[in-house]
Amino acid sequence: MESPKQHPAPFSRELAGNIEDFITKLKRGELQGSKTVALKTANLMRHVVADSRWNDAESLKTIIKGVGKRILKAQPRELLITNIVCRVLHIVNEAAPRIEDACISGSASSTPASRGTETPAMGLGSTMSSRNLADQLAASLAREESNLYHIKTDIISEINEYIADMESTEEEIATSALDHIHSNEIILTCGRSRTVENFLLTAARKRKFQVIVTECAPTYDGHEQAKALTCPNIEVTVIPDSAVFAIMSRVNKVILGTHAVMANGGLIAASGTHMIAAAARHHSTQVMVCAGLYKHAPSFPFDDDRLNALMAPDAILPYGDGHLVDAVDVVSPRYDYVPPDLVDILVDDNGGHLPSYVYRLLQEIYDNAKDLAWNIPDQ
Amino acid sequence: MTNTGSESSQFDIVKHYNDLVETDSSISSPVAAVGSLVKMIEKQNATTMLEFMMIVRTACDKLKKATNNSISLSAGCDVFLQQMSRLSNAQSVDECRRALIRAGSDFVQGAGKCRDNVAEFGSPFVRDDQTILVHSYSRVIMGLLRRAVKQNKRFRVYITESRPDQSGLQAAEELNRLGVPCEVILDAAVGYIIEKVDLILVGAEGVVESGGLINKIGTYQLAIIAKAAKKPFYALAESFKFVRLYPLSQYDLPTFRSDLLSFKDKADAKIDWQAELSRSNPMLDYTPPDLITLMFTDLGVMTPSGVSDELIKFYLD
Repeated sequence: MESPKQHPAPFSRELAGNIEDFITKLKRGELQGSKTVALKTANLMRHVVADSRWNDAESLKTIIKGVGKRILKAQPRELLITNIVCRVLHIVNEAAPRIEDACISGSASSTPASRGTETPAMGLGSTMSSRNLADQLAASLAREESNLYHIKTDIISEINEYIADMESTEEEIATSALDHIHSNEIILTCGRSRTVENFLLTAARKRKFQVIVTECAPTYDGHEQAKALTCPNIEVTVIPDSAVFAIMSRVNKVILGTHAVMANGGLIAASGTHMIAAAARHHSTQVMVCAGLYKHAPSFPFDDDRLNALMAPDAILPYGDGHLVDAVDVVSPRYDYVPPDLVDILVDDNGGHLPSYVYRLLQEIYDNAKDLAWNIPDQ
Repeated sequence: MTNTGSESSQFDIVKHYNDLVETDSSISSPVAAVGSLVKMIEKQNATTMLEFMMIVRTACDKLKKATNNSISLSAGCDVFLQQMSRLSNAQSVDECRRALIRAGSDFVQGAGKCRDNVAEFGSPFVRDDQTILVHSYSRVIMGLLRRAVKQNKRFRVYITESRPDQSGLQAAEELNRLGVPCEVILDAAVGYIIEKVDLILVGAEGVVESGGLINKIGTYQLAIIAKAAKKPFYALAESFKFVRLYPLSQYDLPTFRSDLLSFKDKADAKIDWQAELSRSNPMLDYTPPDLITLMFTDLGVMTPSGVSDELIKFYLD
């Protein structure tokens, strides 16, 4: 039993309750869909920043990491939790020099620490002198308003902006739809993805084309997707998963949604995606993946099993056939890992990228590898 | 100023470098190079900036010429020269020298930490019940495997014999002492064994700008076999081994000599093929980036294309 007393973090009763509630929901698997989890986590993080007591950046980061670890423990397979927590840490890190300054002027109100005079460390990957300069500049600019209260509101509004970006990410991605979809094309997609739905419907405002949806047994998400795509300009066909290879020779383009994108450009996507990507490669069909920036995970897929989850076997072998349970093993994995060499292009809020460019994006949205070490499972 | 010139020439940088490498088996050559350069600038007393820089540059050239594996050594020299040019706007020569000595000594001391960091980032990739193929002897690989053993992971290791110096035997001995089940295989048996292997680890003499790898001979063919068998091929390197080279083929490496495997006229003499073998064969080869799955470095795990990014960030600053 995990009691809040075990974590002496300075939380209000309401916040502590919120965290517990979120953890319970995660454990029960009530939160499904990458966006729901991401938004819920971001909202919780905003609450943590707003409602906990801290005086410097380090203590705030420790609090965030502590909460992050607890949530992650509830659902260790959920990559998006890590993404959001890392992003929030990045936001705090950016504000850190201002927090420091506020503390210095608050306590001693004397000369600020002379950081500029030390020699830069030698070797690759050390802090750049230009970065130092920028830090100093930012710090001196912020000195006027060096008040912890202001900084707190700043961080919160940054997180708000991040949440707003996340909410509008489908529309942002869809703006590049017309660059990728042409008239009379035959497009294959798999399972249910709101990002892909938005993408295709946006293109359908101007162009007519045909979409083939695989039904994605045993969840049959494809049926939902097909219903969502009905519009005058799209001719939708639903096919069983087993027909993918046969129909691939007719397809112009494969457009996929994904649960998460790994640091090497590989995908964690609905099970069945790997097969589609492999079939597409065989026929030299282009594979395009639509994924918001928040789906980019800063870790490498070194442990395939840890990233997957098993679903209830009922959909494959109904519980009515209970007498068979002793004789048959039923396995129903939720995700597939698709290696990056099967993906041709990744489309996010800013446009298309190659899978090999993902590491560069990660450097922009998160901090460097050393700060991410908190989620590496090391015994 | 002829006086200072002769004084600095009294200090034999090559000898100091060789002593360093010999006495401390765990030191890698870029670190030894920086260590020797620090020692050298401590000993000389140039009075103008220009002279100071000249002396350092000549010392670097001397080091590069004197040793046979100039690739990783030149990485160390380049890092040192880059630091010097960063500090060249210092007030006086003495100030520059002092700063350079401090930065250099920090670098040498921090170098051991680099290897630990590589091990930290790389060890999650080693899992229970895996079979690992390792090429040749590499200190950084040993560091990673040692850490994996400490984490109570159980795995098996195949080690290539790695002709001509048979350095694989040394690796096998060390792993055996750690209690890791290992087998030494012939370099020619890689294709035979690859099916049983889960991942391949290699070290690096140098990592070049394209993200490719310069390493002990045999690495390239190992990478090709790994690619054909669709096995992950991981390279381990400390960031001070990143060199500013862009080889396009095997024959663009600075270690290339025209007499390597070059069909010399041997018609008249009786030939000792065994002796000829080690004399006319290369010691290093180049592995292009498209054969490398990931690199484990002390800056984190990165794709080969991440290497050129880090190099540009450092040298264009």
